[in-house]
Amino acid sequence: MIYVVLFFLAFSLLLYVLLAGADFGAGIVELFSSKENQAITKKTVYRVMGPVWEANHIWIIIMIVILWVGFPSFYNILMISLHIPITLMLLGITLRGVAFVFRHYDAFKDNSQIIYDWMFKISSLVTPIFLGITFGALLSGKIIIADSIIPYSFKALYIDSWLNGFSIFTGLFFASLCAFLSSVLLIGEAENETRKIYVRKAIIATVIVVIVGFITICYGFYMDIPFINIFLHNYITISAISISAVLLYPLWMSIKNERRIYSRFFAGIQVLLILIAALAPIFPNMLFTTSGSINILNEIAPNSVIKVLGISLIIGGSVILPGLFHLLKSFKMIKILER
Amino acid sequence: MYLYQSNFKIILRMENLDAARLQMAFTLIFHIVFACIGMVMPFFMVVSHKKWLKTRDPIYLKLTKSWQKGVAIFFVTGAVSGTALSFELGLLWPEFMKHAGPIIGMPFSLEGAAFFVEALALGFYLYGWDKINEKFHWFTGIIVGISGVASGILVVSANGWMNAPSGFDYIDGQFLNIDPISALFNPAWFTQALHMTLAAFTATGFAVAGIHAYQILKKRNIDLHKKAFKIALSFGAIAAILQPISGDISAKDIAKRQPAKLAAMEAHYHTEKGAPLYIGGIVNEEKQEVNYKIAIPKALSFLAFGDFDAEVKGLNDFPADERPKVAIVHYAFQIMVGLGTLLLFAGILFFITLSRKKEWFNKRYFWLLFSLLAPMGFIALEAGWIVTEVGRQPWIIHGIMKTKDAVTPVPGIIYSFYMYILVYTSLTIAVTWLMSRQIKALNSTDHSTPNTTSL
Repeated sequence: MIYVVLFFLAFSLLLYVLLAGADFGAGIVELFSSKENQAITKKTVYRVMGPVWEANHIWIIIMIVILWVGFPSFYNILMISLHIPITLMLLGITLRGVAFVFRHYDAFKDNSQIIYDWMFKISSLVTPIFLGITFGALLSGKIIIADSIIPYSFKALYIDSWLNGFSIFTGLFFASLCAFLSSVLLIGEAENETRKIYVRKAIIATVIVVIVGFITICYGFYMDIPFINIFLHNYITISAISISAVLLYPLWMSIKNERRIYSRFFAGIQVLLILIAALAPIFPNMLFTTSGSINILNEIAPNSVIKVLGISLIIGGSVILPGLFHLLKSFKMIKILER
Repeated sequence: MYLYQSNFKIILRMENLDAARLQMAFTLIFHIVFACIGMVMPFFMVVSHKKWLKTRDPIYLKLTKSWQKGVAIFFVTGAVSGTALSFELGLLWPEFMKHAGPIIGMPFSLEGAAFFVEALALGFYLYGWDKINEKFHWFTGIIVGISGVASGILVVSANGWMNAPSGFDYIDGQFLNIDPISALFNPAWFTQALHMTLAAFTATGFAVAGIHAYQILKKRNIDLHKKAFKIALSFGAIAAILQPISGDISAKDIAKRQPAKLAAMEAHYHTEKGAPLYIGGIVNEEKQEVNYKIAIPKALSFLAFGDFDAEVKGLNDFPADERPKVAIVHYAFQIMVGLGTLLLFAGILFFITLSRKKEWFNKRYFWLLFSLLAPMGFIALEAGWIVTEVGRQPWIIHGIMKTKDAVTPVPGIIYSFYMYILVYTSLTIAVTWLMSRQIKALNSTDHSTPNTTSL
């Protein structure tokens, strides 16, 4: 049953990265657009994302609940050592959610829209960066786990683990991945001239993702980040990265030819491959400390809990997923796929 | 040097405990308001929607669309503050979550599912106008309401577990033989969930009705606001009238399970048979007495145990480090009961007006009264949460784990608390402002449908 739970954890992560990623990305694309295009993007984003907006962000709650129910010790370490970046990420999520609602539900469309727009765009950029930083902190090997924390300073315990080059690069990588996902998604939602804008943006975003990813790995290698060492010596990772590199070509071609279905499909595959490449070498030792790594499967919840959790996830999943699919379909996000 | 350092650490932890408690209280106080409105308003919305489908009176359509915007705004603010809370549980109380997480995971995972269903249904509802089948569209509104209430009940059940921990054996500081299902159906879940659901309907009903009453008082768009007032207050009044029954069940339950909380609520220091009920009064915690109170002989014994001569345990019979703060719990309890009673009578007044004294709807004082009552339900509701939360102290898990042992070791929580104050206060100001703009738009004289889908 633990594997059912792990599957749902990974599945939620994948959906969160894809759906919330595209959602965050929309704000980033808007941020880096000319004024005229901003208005178009805003409209398109609302039409596309509006109905599923909340649903996109529930995946992170599902993940956090799975973690605390099934993997309490691991969750405990996460919440203590990464308190600060998680709090900052929450701040971003809050401001972004509020800005999204305000700009679409305010009864009057006047100058206050300018404030909402800026709030939305900035928090759309900052939130995924902090999400990425938090994830990078798990890998950067700077988290201190000790019986007594007295010999360590506040900075060493609660700052250095996430405020370091590698984590920041991971944050930037995730943000650019979001922008990439969003611009690929928007290609399928726009018409004629506007579509060309997103095609260009998708190409630029792809290039940025590849470059930032490459820099992150090089930096990690240069700084002797333990994760990168394992990363570069794992055959699953190497094959995932190679496949991903090969698939860049069809992705590129489908973006260029404005193929909405293929471009989305290949973008999704890229994300899947990136996640596989990142997670395969570290599972189950998901967290790197100064002195080693922490196994997520250590001290998991008792069997009775895992069993109930697994069953609820299966039942919940079978209710929610068809509903989500139907919602996406009703609002044409999937209809294009069926054309 | 070492001694100094460890003393310093203790001081730091004490401060952290207070800061963490304040932050938790502060975020919960906000979240409760957002969540209650997001949970109850869909019901007003679907009633108005149903009336539109039946009568095709455009006023009902306008009202429905206006309420749906309210639902959307409060749903999302409730959802983001809820997301923040789901993280704060771990960020502020990691030791609590480490042990309690697996046990109370059940209500939280089900809550996640219910919330998901709600979000999906809301997606259909908000964006489904003229796109999906009319009846199905209306029905998705019902699903929004039901799944909202289900989420609320599940979260309250998790809180109930903190008051009535069950579904595990506590042996040598270990939580063994965990049974998540009996933790979900802990002894407190039903009384608390019933009380909270009724409270949410009362508070939201009176608040929404109060806002519309104020518009009528100001003679703006009376026709529409009167319809809105009647729908909202019907829910609020029925809930307010039912609430005392639930309150009585809760009191008897607490008397059995958490006698220290009951004693604090009643500022009852000395164990006695035939204990009197204190109404009002100023609590002197040092001298352990209550001054300027009205005492009703034997009433407490009766209310708590259904027997005028039953013995009610006083706070002095509990170890000093297991007593909650008395004054705040007692005052909060008085406020809750006092305002609850006030709303009960206001609810009865509403039904009398509706059935026999229709002319009262033309009286200025009627609308003034209900305008003034607008915030009272929420004040009572928050006071009730103060009673249950502060009354549980010093425990985070009643009888098992103390709050001070659950708090995070990360220093400087006070700064995080300041940040939350800043963010949530601005959020409240912004939401209030947004709502006033909604009402302004609603008062615009033309009855054509406001456009909800375009920007």
